[in-house]
Amino acid sequence: MLLREVEYAKPGSVAEALELLAANDGARALAGGQTLINVMKARAASPDMLVDLNGLDDLTGIELAGDGTLTIGAMTTYTELMGSAEAKARPILGEVCATIADVQVRNRGTIGGNVCSNDPTNHLPPLMVSVGARMTIAGADGEREVSAEEFFLGVYLTAVGPGELLTRISIPAGKKDGFAAVTLGADGTCIANAAATVNGSVRVALGCVDAVPVIVTAESADGVADAVRAANLEPPSDVHASSEYRTHLAEVLATRAAQEASAR
Amino acid sequence: MIQSSETTLAPAPVEVQKGWGGQSVKRKEDKRLLQGEGVFVDDVKRHGMGYLHFVRSPYAHAHITRVDVSAAEAIDGVYGTLTGEEVAALTDPFFQISSVPGANIKDFSLAVGKVRYVGEPVVAVVAETRELARDASELVEVDYEPLAAVVDARVAQDSDTPVLHDDAGGNLMWSGLYSWGDLDAAFAEADRVVKIPELHFHRFNSTPLECDGALVEYNRGVSQWTIHTNNQFPGFAAIMMGPAMKVGLDKLRFVTQDIGGGFGNKITSHPQLVVCCLLARKLNRPVQWTEWRTDFHLSMSHGNERWFRDTEVAVKDDGTLLGFRTKALDDAGAWLRYEPLGGVIWAQVTPGMYRWKHIELEFTQVATNKAPVSPNRGYSRMQHLWFTERVIDIVARELDLDPVEVRKRNYVRAEDMPYTTPNGCVYDSGDYAAMLDLALGLVGYDSMEARRADAKERGKLLGVGIGSTLDSGTNNFGQSRLINPELQFSGNNEVATVKLDIFGEIVVTLGTTPQGQGHETTAAQVVADILNCSVDDVHVRAGHDSYWNSHAGFSGTYASQFAVTGLSAVKGATEMLAAEIKKLAGAVFGGVPAEALELADGGVRIKESPDAFLPFMACGAIINANNAGLPEDLDVTLNCRYVYRPPFEVPDVETKMGNLTLTYACQVHVAVVEVDPETGAYEIVDYAAVDDCGKRINPQIVEGQVMGATAQAIGAAVHETYEYDEDGNLLTPNFYDYHVPHALDMPPLATGAIESPSPFTPLGTKGMGEGGGAGIHAVCAAIQDATGQIVTDSHNPYQRVWRLLQEAKA
Amino acid sequence: MDVTVTVNGTTYERDVEPRKLLIHFLRDDLDLTGSHVGCDTGNCGACSVIVDGVLVKSCMLLAVQANGASIETVEGLAEGDELTPLQLAFNEHHALQCGYCTPGMLMSATALLRENPSPSEDEIAKALQGNICRCTGYWNIVEAVKSVAK
Ligand SMILES: Cc1cc2nc3c(=O)[nH]c(=O)nc-3n(C[C@H](O)[C@H](O)[C@H](O)COP(=O)(O)OP(=O)(O)OC[C@H]3O[C@@H](n4cnc5c(N)ncnc54)[C@H](O)[C@@H]3O)c2cc1C
Ligand code: FES
Ligand code: FES
Repeated sequence: MLLREVEYAKPGSVAEALELLAANDGARALAGGQTLINVMKARAASPDMLVDLNGLDDLTGIELAGDGTLTIGAMTTYTELMGSAEAKARPILGEVCATIADVQVRNRGTIGGNVCSNDPTNHLPPLMVSVGARMTIAGADGEREVSAEEFFLGVYLTAVGPGELLTRISIPAGKKDGFAAVTLGADGTCIANAAATVNGSVRVALGCVDAVPVIVTAESADGVADAVRAANLEPPSDVHASSEYRTHLAEVLATRAAQEASAR
Repeated sequence: MIQSSETTLAPAPVEVQKGWGGQSVKRKEDKRLLQGEGVFVDDVKRHGMGYLHFVRSPYAHAHITRVDVSAAEAIDGVYGTLTGEEVAALTDPFFQISSVPGANIKDFSLAVGKVRYVGEPVVAVVAETRELARDASELVEVDYEPLAAVVDARVAQDSDTPVLHDDAGGNLMWSGLYSWGDLDAAFAEADRVVKIPELHFHRFNSTPLECDGALVEYNRGVSQWTIHTNNQFPGFAAIMMGPAMKVGLDKLRFVTQDIGGGFGNKITSHPQLVVCCLLARKLNRPVQWTEWRTDFHLSMSHGNERWFRDTEVAVKDDGTLLGFRTKALDDAGAWLRYEPLGGVIWAQVTPGMYRWKHIELEFTQVATNKAPVSPNRGYSRMQHLWFTERVIDIVARELDLDPVEVRKRNYVRAEDMPYTTPNGCVYDSGDYAAMLDLALGLVGYDSMEARRADAKERGKLLGVGIGSTLDSGTNNFGQSRLINPELQFSGNNEVATVKLDIFGEIVVTLGTTPQGQGHETTAAQVVADILNCSVDDVHVRAGHDSYWNSHAGFSGTYASQFAVTGLSAVKGATEMLAAEIKKLAGAVFGGVPAEALELADGGVRIKESPDAFLPFMACGAIINANNAGLPEDLDVTLNCRYVYRPPFEVPDVETKMGNLTLTYACQVHVAVVEVDPETGAYEIVDYAAVDDCGKRINPQIVEGQVMGATAQAIGAAVHETYEYDEDGNLLTPNFYDYHVPHALDMPPLATGAIESPSPFTPLGTKGMGEGGGAGIHAVCAAIQDATGQIVTDSHNPYQRVWRLLQEAKA
Repeated sequence: MDVTVTVNGTTYERDVEPRKLLIHFLRDDLDLTGSHVGCDTGNCGACSVIVDGVLVKSCMLLAVQANGASIETVEGLAEGDELTPLQLAFNEHHALQCGYCTPGMLMSATALLRENPSPSEDEIAKALQGNICRCTGYWNIVEAVKSVAK
């Protein structure tokens, strides 16, 4: 409600969007808006210009390569991903997206926006880390690719620098994934979550416990709880959970996610 | 998802209406609401109106050292501002309900000199657009000198705790000792004394989906304000605003059509309305105020947070309850906007549903640096009933008795009705044990042990809990004198007018301000039964307008009373109209006595010769437009106003005895939960709600109220809480962090009903709707059952349940 | 900025500040006050409308983003006085009390039924998850939607 004044630009291409972002210090990319508009309502952030990425074809689409690699455009909405036949190649993606918020939010919120906002309670940052996603970032100097592990840098902070855009995410083939969360109400905001992938050993990414997903690995699901304990987590306390409770949940959820992944 | 079971017990001792009353007539108000054609306050617009935005305090407690509005006023499109200093010059402080020390506080509609909670309005800015008003409010400069904040009521009276209101000399606002029966004898007779050190009822409210708002116009020529608002108790707002603004009440015209939920939370918007009024006059233009969700959470009408400390319960080994004593400590927040009425309202249900004879309760209310509290669905009784239900379950556990048995042993019995409580309230009717049986049946209580075992196999802990509660309705406002003997309030009243218009239209005007309770429909049902016509023929005006003159001092929609006060007024007015119609017809037919006439088929006729028929249209036309030649002494207007006044006496201020409410609807709920022992997360897997509100005029509407109260109680029990940090920042200021249950969060629900008509009301109805928080009681009991640990808090998010389980392990 | 939208079949052209949310544009500029505001964080769904066939919360996008779009709001559901089966079902099942959430609920349920004419109870609850109702407890709303499911 009642945002500060802002300019609005609707570029016709990724190149034009990058130019706009580079030319205006206070410009911000607008994807689904399901985080950014809220932040602007609270006037917690007030970009001078919104560069609307909606309608840029280069940022949409889901492709499945011969080797099973999925390439997902940053502007793909959760709803699109859930309905995509290609995305079923990695079933966990659609399953997790189906539990994010509600129909309306899923109809507009995007995969790119979810990871770029890197809210520690979001669903996708840990999932992207566990499945071994790679992010393609475009800027004035062209494109570069970073792994999900390198992508998340801090609360609301990612490898996408000023004047840059996340254009797509690629996810290798795989099926043995799991996700577990304790949420505020059914399918609500995560109090703690964990994503796990079995690829020989088990790799778990924990959400809500630090500024970025925390990775733990173990030989099997049985060893995950110990691995989480060894990580000496110091999660934040807030109104929904104390640090102690989050630490405990991390252990339980990591194990559950790992068990789910192993069982597939 | 829903299953219902209808059981009717106890043949009615009063005449039960035949016809429309008792039918689930489909609501008349729905059509406009379904088409987006309702008129809610924010839909009202006026030419040239300015939008108001409040500058709010970022501090919980601070002196205001400087306010400068010049930069804001300098912006193009800003119409003007209002500061606390101006308010202090233009108005008197609001009248205080409290006796001293609370009586001494000075409450203005904007902060004057000091802020006392985060979100408190400090300055108001009015501008051409909503956005601009907010922009300009960011340019208002306010300097603060922060003070330490009080956020825990338990330390509010400590000597080193900062004081909110110097005028009151401390943070104590009100205290009173209530003592009935003979506590010493009770404890002497007891086999056991169960001690409960501390119970805590948390802060939350019903968060109506529509927040508060107003559009205020000032008519300079007649010095009168028209206040379009969704305030749900305009009578109270007027009494607060008139003296503060130093104007007579007729200068304050309240207009309301549709209200997007109230639940008590929309009673205390009078400070904001005063600001709108002052600005409408100052700026000479209509002023529009929309309260946004975060504003509401920060500043409006939190429910009373209450601690029960040092509780002692006198019991016999067989579970017979003799008496209890406790200390209730109530956190009023920063201002007494409706308080300290909560300090007596609980006494409507002093013994809960039980035959406790000896009760002592020391009530203390303190101020803290949090949002002011005010009524919230189940107001003050809910806290107390939660306490009595907790006590029952804790006693049952300590004595290793079955909570069902302890309840049945101690419930007020059907044969005791009407039952006089230790403090002189009269429970009118009901069969609590039968309700409990019905509720237990609805969740399949007999097979619960098998289900417990099944849950265990799945790694879950199953628990069952009962919440039995009262929905006392139709206040005797004389109870306010137990708070402050100087107050000159007592009794209650409500108004309805029913008229026949010129073409025979039946037009009903209510004094109430419904927020979804279906008054237009139930009122039409009562009218149609008396005038022997169809509900479709009855036009009940939507909303409230104090210019209609169909309101009285206690008019409004609050405190579970419409089915008694509102509908009794409707009945009274319609019976007057029916009598007048017969009188008129008698004259027209040439001296036929009323007994020989009957109302039927949209008119009046002679019973013996039905061809002699005068349609309502003719009646309306004759009186309103064609009245030459009527007998001079024919005293008929066909425009009848009736004030219903329930039979009350002023309670005794010394003994604190008296009947505080007229009716006692009852709810018995049973919740079945399954707890995940590893995380503390739990799910309500089964739920039953049984209601008895006497005669139901419209069972579907009643059931809807039961469902709504249930959902709110579940929300409060599991998720909803206004939590503050030690600096007084609200940690749940929006629907992100204040999680309101949605459709996926709802358990399967079975409803049941019993009808025990009230012997005290004209229609056998009882007020209902608030629901007494039964769901909170039931969920707490179920968690206690599942975890085996005593539950001491009304709010049990997963984290707290996990902690209980950790304690169980330790 | 110039914005042209078609709402319930009527085309409107207005000059709009880019910062204006679609819900404010509908309510304040176009006088379509059927869609409501119940929160300031995109949680309540009272503002739900259908934009180019997609159900969205109109407080979560800018009016300028809807430029060129075709928007459906609660005002457009009924044909004059002829309520839709869904609206009638809400009346029949007492699925509304104060009616403040109702426009958003109807839009969410309408979107659901278009996509899935025979939803299960769970699917209905899931489809309404983004709409808060504080009065009814949702049971009757789910019943109402279920009653018109094929
Ligand atoms: C009621 C509600 C509940 C929610 N619950 C959850 C939940 O439970 N779990 C969850 O994960 N999320 C939740 N969300 C957040 C939602 O998933 C958002 O959609 C998501 O976090 C952001 O995606 P977006 O496309 O809307 O991004 P936007 O809000 O448009 O953008 C977010 C940020 O990312 C930047 N950005 C976006 N795209 C790019 C890009 N391609 N390149 C560079 N920068 C970019 C923007 O500049 C902005 O800073 C909820 C949102 C709401 C309103
Ligand atoms: S007003 Fe849009 S979601 Fe609440
Ligand atoms: S009917 Fe009131 S919020 Fe849903």
